Amino acid sequence: MLRYTWKRILTGIFSLFVLVTVTFFLVRIIPGSPFQRGGVSEQVVETIEQEYGLNEPIMTQYFSYLGNVVQGDLGISYQDPATQVSDIIARAWPVTASIGITALTVSVLLGTGLGILRAVSKRRWLREVISAGGMLAAGIPSFAAAILLLLVFSVKLKWLPASGLLSPVHYILPVTALALYPAAMIARLVGNTLDGELQKDYVLFARAKGLGKGQIIFTHALKNAYLPVLNYIGPASASLLTGSFVIESIFTIPGLGREFVSSITNRDYTLILGLTIFMGTVVIVVNLFTDLLCAWLDPQTRRAYREDRA
Amino acid sequence: MSVLDVRNLSVQYLTENGASEIIKDISFKVEKGEIAGLVGESGSGKSTAMLAVMGLLGDRAVIRADQITVSKEKPVPGKNVAMIFQDSLSCLNPSVKIGRQITETVRARRKCSRKEAEARAEELLDMAGIRNPALRMRQYPFELSGGMRQRVVLAIALACEPDLIIADEPTTALDALVQAQILLLFKRIVRETETSMLLVSHDMGVTAAMCSRVYVMHEGQIVESGAAEDVFYSPSEEYTKRLLNDARGDSLSGYGHESIENAAGGTGDIYGKAPVFRMEHVTKIFDESEGIRDLSLEIRKGEILALVGESGSGKTTAARILTGILKEDGGTLYYRGNELNRDSRMDAFAGRVQMVFQDPYASLNPCLTVREALEEALRAAGTRAVLSPETAEHAGHPESRSAHRNREKGRMEEKIDRMLRLTGLSPEDADRYPGDFSGGQRQRIGIARALIVEPEILVCDEALSSLDATTREQILELIFRIQRKIGFACLFISHDIHVVRRISDRIGVMYGGRIVEKGETKKICSDPWHPYTKQLIEAVPEPDPLRAAKIKAAPLKDSTGDGKGIEQSGCPFAGRCGYALECCGKEIPESYLFEGREVSCFLYSDRHSGRRSSDYKMTSQI
Repeated sequence: MLRYTWKRILTGIFSLFVLVTVTFFLVRIIPGSPFQRGGVSEQVVETIEQEYGLNEPIMTQYFSYLGNVVQGDLGISYQDPATQVSDIIARAWPVTASIGITALTVSVLLGTGLGILRAVSKRRWLREVISAGGMLAAGIPSFAAAILLLLVFSVKLKWLPASGLLSPVHYILPVTALALYPAAMIARLVGNTLDGELQKDYVLFARAKGLGKGQIIFTHALKNAYLPVLNYIGPASASLLTGSFVIESIFTIPGLGREFVSSITNRDYTLILGLTIFMGTVVIVVNLFTDLLCAWLDPQTRRAYREDRA
Repeated sequence: MSVLDVRNLSVQYLTENGASEIIKDISFKVEKGEIAGLVGESGSGKSTAMLAVMGLLGDRAVIRADQITVSKEKPVPGKNVAMIFQDSLSCLNPSVKIGRQITETVRARRKCSRKEAEARAEELLDMAGIRNPALRMRQYPFELSGGMRQRVVLAIALACEPDLIIADEPTTALDALVQAQILLLFKRIVRETETSMLLVSHDMGVTAAMCSRVYVMHEGQIVESGAAEDVFYSPSEEYTKRLLNDARGDSLSGYGHESIENAAGGTGDIYGKAPVFRMEHVTKIFDESEGIRDLSLEIRKGEILALVGESGSGKTTAARILTGILKEDGGTLYYRGNELNRDSRMDAFAGRVQMVFQDPYASLNPCLTVREALEEALRAAGTRAVLSPETAEHAGHPESRSAHRNREKGRMEEKIDRMLRLTGLSPEDADRYPGDFSGGQRQRIGIARALIVEPEILVCDEALSSLDATTREQILELIFRIQRKIGFACLFISHDIHVVRRISDRIGVMYGGRIVEKGETKKICSDPWHPYTKQLIEAVPEPDPLRAAKIKAAPLKDSTGDGKGIEQSGCPFAGRCGYALECCGKEIPESYLFEGREVSCFLYSDRHSGRRSSDYKMTSQI
């Protein structure tokens, strides 16, 4: 397992390298210069570009950027030369992470709960409602859901604030919009896998030995049913942690997503690259962590690992 | 007083086309402290009836009964009645430790602290014959052997402190020796705890060994019931007689070994022939205990060689080396007297060895029709041999390709029809999918698929063990009949000496990766020489209550679970052998050869019996 972990870390680093390279050349294909504005003369632009080394051959720029990244220096923002890219990330990420983690918690709890209900409820209408609701929630694009929520709860009913993140109340709408899809997916997965587990012999045996329904579901069936669900939660949490462009823009939340969108419109090369590297790292780390966790939760792989070490 | 009293139980299943009646008005009783048996083929409704008693049938089942009581009360699972199932691996939760699975049962039964429950669980495991219970409690089900898991399941059932234990095919998945141990354990537990037991089984031998009262079930009805002696010695129903006949194996014997001589024109003919395949001193070691060591065997055209032994004895490894799936670590393989090169083996050998697998459900692709599966087998075997001489001829001809292909297709179809008829299916079955067939029929398809490429060697790896008694009987007869007709060599692998005894010409008994005894089936079964062979033969209960009651369980295997120690010095069987000499623990006995019988045991060495004159006739030393 240790070897596997190392292999994954190395392939992760390689993926990051490819990601940086591709992004580096892609952003430079975007027409125009980071410093082009209405009213700024060509000459001024050229001078500034010279200042930032943008007139040098592209390969030279690439290697010097790569060298800096390896040393942990993501450079300064072209739009706001007073700030380091890393400072922008440090400022925006906590915002994104706070809604991301909240949305993740909500979707896991809600999804699991509804999934269990769907698998075990004796009421047929309830099972149908959960299935249909899940499909609906998974089917609506997040921007539509966000705008709908905004219209109903803050414009019409005026119950909830429409933008910003000043108080816990401000979290409700963006978190709901973010959690809708993963919650639906988790509910579906939990429902299906749990349904499958409940058909198995060990559940019948657990009933034969006199265990209650709750005990059978929570200590027996769910334990086995949750593995495939974790495999979904991993990538889902990676996407929640790197921020949603759409949701952050709609609710004007100063998170990573919004920074990303504005950096692209501004052709802020270093910021685009810095954010890409950061998000890529988060995705890779979270996925690695999930895979290791899944392996660890399976007693067979865990035992095999222990014996290897022994 | 009856512990279990069931009167006029009927079970119906509600389906889309109305209700179908699975159990028809059956009544049975179990008295205090007795083991009663419910016997019948699979599909006769035994398990359904038991689940109905437990109240564990699904929502679609409608249960009607005048009375179902356990000690005059309503049956409550986990309280007055507990159940043991066939497959101990699937009925224990794979991701929950053994200890937890027992303690939760203890605590569901009565209020007690975690500590007390743990102490009780250890006590129960100890009762169930598990050494070092504290260690086992920290392990997961997959870390235990099948026999040990069944003991755990029994411990869990006992944790319920029930008046009645229903055991549904509790030993079917185990090999003969472990089965004998578990059966004796059940007997002891019933005696000591005064629990009653209802033993459900398809195995007449097991039923005879255990039960004082027997109910025979057929198609949802109890067709005969009474004291075990009455049912076994003077059955009144045709169905019971048939079950007993199948169990005694009367249908094959008689037409069994004699007919070899007829088919091949005298035994001499077979044994005089050069072997089709020979393995010499082949070794293949997996980590720790599994594998084979220094194994030599030969298969001749027209004979069935059986390998018998418990799981982990290396039977399957030997078969896999023969088929080329595994490569040996050392030793030599010969095909028709020519040495098989390690690397080019597959080319020289392809299509000449075919396999019939254990699980007829998993070994057929559900998306291919029978015809497609058979065509695929033909194509995989290639243009070589199979579609044959003509194919090669036509290769150079200017004949149009499509005409050629059509002809080939026709030939293929004809071949498929013939093969299906041979295996007892009909040509119309060719366009159906595996899902449309029963387990026995699927195994016929598996056999057809193997035989269609006209292999020289057929390997049957536990091909019968997932089938019920009657189906097993049919398939056994089928393999035997076809083999005698076509005359291919067959390596038949089974843990069940009862089956092997009836189909094979020669037997190799395997233990700890070695063949401990090898020779003609008839001789070995009637007069075993090796102590292990003897144990194996004695462990199989016969469908005869008086004789089966005497089944002996071999001494417990060292239950630390670290296998039979293939790497150890000395005879692998020494630890379990009642006749072990001093040298047995130190040296590995070589094979001693006496008139076609080989036995690896120091009891047959000159060392033990002294120097022998040349006309000395060896007899069993045990």
